[in-house]
Amino acid sequence: MSVAALLRDRKVRDVLAQVAVAAGLVALIVFFVRNASENMVKAGIASGFGFLWRDSGIEVPFQLTGYTASSSILGLLWVGIVNTLLVSVVSIVAATLLGFLIGVARLSRNPMLSGLAGAYVEFVRNIPLLFFVLIWYFGVVASLPAPRASIPLLDIAFLNNRGLTVPLPQEAAGFAYTLLVLLLGMAVQLALVALSRRRQARTGHALPLGWTALLLLLAAPLATLLWAVLGTAWDVPALRGFNYRGGFVLVPEFVALFAALSTYTAGFVAEIVRAGILAVPAGQVEAAKALGLRPGLALRLVVIPQALRVMVPPMTSQYLNVIKNSSFGAAIAYPDVVSLFMGSALNNTGQAIEIIAITLALYLSISLAVSGFMNWYNARIALVTR
Amino acid sequence: MSRLSLALAAALSCLCGAASAQQLVPSPTLDAIKARGHLECGVHLGLPGFSFANDKGEWSGIDVDYCRALAAAILGDSTKVKFTPTSVQQRWPVLQSGQVDLLSRNTTITFSRNATLGVNFQGINFYEGQTFVVRKGTATAPKDLDGASICVAAGSTEEKQAADWFRERNMKTSIINFQKNDDAIAAYDSGRCDAYTAGLGALAGQRSKLKDPDSHVVMTETISNDPQGPTTRYGDERYQLVVRWVLNGMIAAELLGITSKNVDEMKAKSTSAEVRRLLGVDGGFGAMMGLSNDWMFNAIKQVGNYGESYERTVGMGSPLKLARGKNELWTKGGALFTPPFQ
Repeated sequence: MSVAALLRDRKVRDVLAQVAVAAGLVALIVFFVRNASENMVKAGIASGFGFLWRDSGIEVPFQLTGYTASSSILGLLWVGIVNTLLVSVVSIVAATLLGFLIGVARLSRNPMLSGLAGAYVEFVRNIPLLFFVLIWYFGVVASLPAPRASIPLLDIAFLNNRGLTVPLPQEAAGFAYTLLVLLLGMAVQLALVALSRRRQARTGHALPLGWTALLLLLAAPLATLLWAVLGTAWDVPALRGFNYRGGFVLVPEFVALFAALSTYTAGFVAEIVRAGILAVPAGQVEAAKALGLRPGLALRLVVIPQALRVMVPPMTSQYLNVIKNSSFGAAIAYPDVVSLFMGSALNNTGQAIEIIAITLALYLSISLAVSGFMNWYNARIALVTR
Repeated sequence: MSRLSLALAAALSCLCGAASAQQLVPSPTLDAIKARGHLECGVHLGLPGFSFANDKGEWSGIDVDYCRALAAAILGDSTKVKFTPTSVQQRWPVLQSGQVDLLSRNTTITFSRNATLGVNFQGINFYEGQTFVVRKGTATAPKDLDGASICVAAGSTEEKQAADWFRERNMKTSIINFQKNDDAIAAYDSGRCDAYTAGLGALAGQRSKLKDPDSHVVMTETISNDPQGPTTRYGDERYQLVVRWVLNGMIAAELLGITSKNVDEMKAKSTSAEVRRLLGVDGGFGAMMGLSNDWMFNAIKQVGNYGESYERTVGMGSPLKLARGKNELWTKGGALFTPPFQ
């Protein structure tokens, strides 16, 4: 085939056009990066990624990674990532649960309940998140007593405006076993569910799944937990000087950000849930009724599985919003990626371009990973049509 | 003949003009300031005594005064300054990108900033030292702060210095880093922290932002030495020269007893060689930098010498009432120093 003939081929033309655009984009990026680095050298501004291995020298009041002020800036970044993910994950779980309840309540036939849920949704959706975060923060800090007037919980944990100080076990092995037992119990329970389904299909009788769940998921892990709690020495916080010493402190920044993110996002989740349920054709509910299913059962077995298909895509974007919104923690000194890395580290090193690029790449990869997982889940629960 | 002499004169003046212009290194920054007719000065978001805008938007403070003196030296008019308030985080990019001609905002001179940020420090206009503000009766010196929660502005030198200081002494503190000074102060005020840390001078002004200033005390003991002064970008040496020597000139004026009140008289009558050079009577020092020879005369006349500025903004004539301390002339036991005007 001649070149002219090749160019007339639409497929070839399309590929060529795409290659040209991609090459142009790469060239543009290369140009910007080179231009920036040349100008930075000219202006005497340090560049490169070597700073990541320098000592950070910054104290972080809330971290789970064993970081100290003498760790590297890379260590500081890792603290930030873990804190961002921690507050995002717990907020997503809480927002989903709360949002589901409110969404279902909004559809209730009880006018009081649906009215309250509606008011909540309207209130939350029309207020900026930053306002929410600040209200929670100053609300939480201001409403709690000073350390000397702490609220004792069973005399081992103490609540004050510096946070909730809880005892810390000296040895963590027992708790790892508890987790192991719980995971094992889950696996066995899942196998039993599958077995029970097959048995029900064959004989019409299910296994007593409730009892096995109670034993495997509650009783066994609790017993191990009790053994773990009694088997280790505890670092119980004690009031000394300014504040309680020892133990682990759940800082008010975390509590405020968690509360703000979950109550705020719950309003949006509630609307998604309501829309999802309303999207299920009325005929489905009527059919379920005609089959003799009670309302609760109809909701669980007929409505929600179908509503989920409508809900998953918008829910994904809400989850992504929670992760991105967690950066509002910077406003109240919650040590997340933005606060630690783009705040403290950026100022100490002055390497703005590198630090912002790394932060950008981080948020992008976390968000892409979450949306990848949600897309997979969406494909799995999608209606199989023939 | 007359035409020839005219042409000769023109050629001569051209040559002289070219020759006198060639004596000066090109200075894009000075040219830009003169062309635009005002100085762009980066200051603090709002720190009483240093750079603070009142409800009419009029700026005052020791750092603001320095920028006014610089404008008077370059443009002959101390009012031709535009102030750009910058946060702890914004200050470097704002200076590096050329949005401001200089920073004059309580910025501590450190090695790593000088070496990696592409900025030069042009002298010291305030010796600051880090200390703490606490509620009355809880602590009196930094060593009492074991176990305390301390609010601080993220990215400030205080953040690292406090961490280092307590770590070296095996003291356990919880340092909470906020993005802005004002957020950190508000959190301290609401009870989140036992102490708020900043420079002694900065705290004297910031204390007024607390709800009940009288129930708090600023510790007198400092844990660091934080010299601060005007900061410029790398490059453009002639402009850096001007920035450096206007500050030196303000200090020299105090040393030589020149004030905004007696400057006219000193210029007319003084027999001191250094005074005459500083005020542009002899020596032609202004022209050496491409400025008019009465550069320092204008700065002193319109703004005053260092001491006048200090007393008016942070000293006894201000609500801050800071003693001179290290910020006294070296001849009177302080650390303020200027090389000679020779």
